[in-house]
Amino acid sequence: MGIDIRKIDEIIESYDKSEESLLAILQDFQHTFRYVPEEGMKRVSEILGIPESKIYGVGTFYKALSLKPVGRHTCKVCTGTACHLKGAHTLTDIIGRELDIEPGETTKDGRFTLQTVNCVGACALAPVVMVDDEDYYEGSSPQDVLKNLRKYK
Amino acid sequence: MEKITIKINGKDIEALKDQSVLEVARENGIAIPALCSHPEIETQAGSCRVCLVEVSQNGRSRVVTSCNYPVRGGIEVRTDTDLVRRIRKGVVELLLSRTPDAPVIQKLARENGIEGSRFFVDEAEHYRNRCIACSLCTQVCEEVVGVSAISMLDRGRDKAPGTPYLKPSQACIGCGACAYACPTEAISMIDEGEVRKIWGREFKMLTCSVCGKPYIPEAQVEWIVKTTGKDRSFFDKCPDHR
Repeated sequence: MGIDIRKIDEIIESYDKSEESLLAILQDFQHTFRYVPEEGMKRVSEILGIPESKIYGVGTFYKALSLKPVGRHTCKVCTGTACHLKGAHTLTDIIGRELDIEPGETTKDGRFTLQTVNCVGACALAPVVMVDDEDYYEGSSPQDVLKNLRKYK
Repeated sequence: MEKITIKINGKDIEALKDQSVLEVARENGIAIPALCSHPEIETQAGSCRVCLVEVSQNGRSRVVTSCNYPVRGGIEVRTDTDLVRRIRKGVVELLLSRTPDAPVIQKLARENGIEGSRFFVDEAEHYRNRCIACSLCTQVCEEVVGVSAISMLDRGRDKAPGTPYLKPSQACIGCGACAYACPTEAISMIDEGEVRKIWGREFKMLTCSVCGKPYIPEAQVEWIVKTTGKDRSFFDKCPDHR
């Protein structure tokens, strides 16, 4: 997958040239390219004058940022305290078996990336599965979750 | 600088306002164990948690990290209370479970009366290193050397220093300051003849024109010349023969 360097520059140019813009730019990369490309981090370093080490450090710190290309859909299983107690790990296993991947991996057809995240802030729905950062599913029954996942092509 | 008087272990001691408790204690020959503190670093991270002391002021006391606790007039510091000893023991035990192979931590454990850690020790090769994730190496690289070649990557138990994209860093000058500063000797730096290997890169070393010993990476000389304007010929001889 080729990354459009013009698109990268466009995103960077839309923010103030200050260190404070770093996270917002990386989030935009994530949104646009579905991951944070190395070329992008290099350009941010050049334009904002931030050492590459710092940018990469931020990139590895946040679970919302992925440094590898991810699938068309991301499936995030919350493993926060409430979800953990409500069986998030069993849920992860079941989804992983269905998709034939481990957490952090992408299916061969590029349809899904499975991730575990620390807390999505919806503890009342525990255990929660979040798809594409916008659809929340209460994971009361793993079968329901699997049925819902089939909707995503 | 404002002079103040504080008490450490019952003794009146003169100090300058804003000095750290650790600094004052050491100037006065009072030992406090510490791993991640370094006098050349502006902001002590306080991340190893070994330098704990108990500070009392206005009848209240609390346990603080002495390396980044600024002294104020009238405070009373105790370095060896039961509470401090008990908490430090727990801290060291946790460090031991993370880095069971680090001699510095093993020694600290013995000094604190710990025989083995009660906590889970991960047998996976990946975690079996000596790094306690204190970030002193990255601070030295940024603040003292000024190149920011490494930073702390990931989070939680995966947190460790590394180069951007886990590839050999182009910013690195091979000075080895990170390895020298590391309290647990966790960073691999190998000098073999005229080559230094560190962070996945090989650096050609400059040899001393008198004794013929390779003593400094060429990249480091270039960096010093560039940033300080020092004459390159200064580096013809090693410090022993200048």
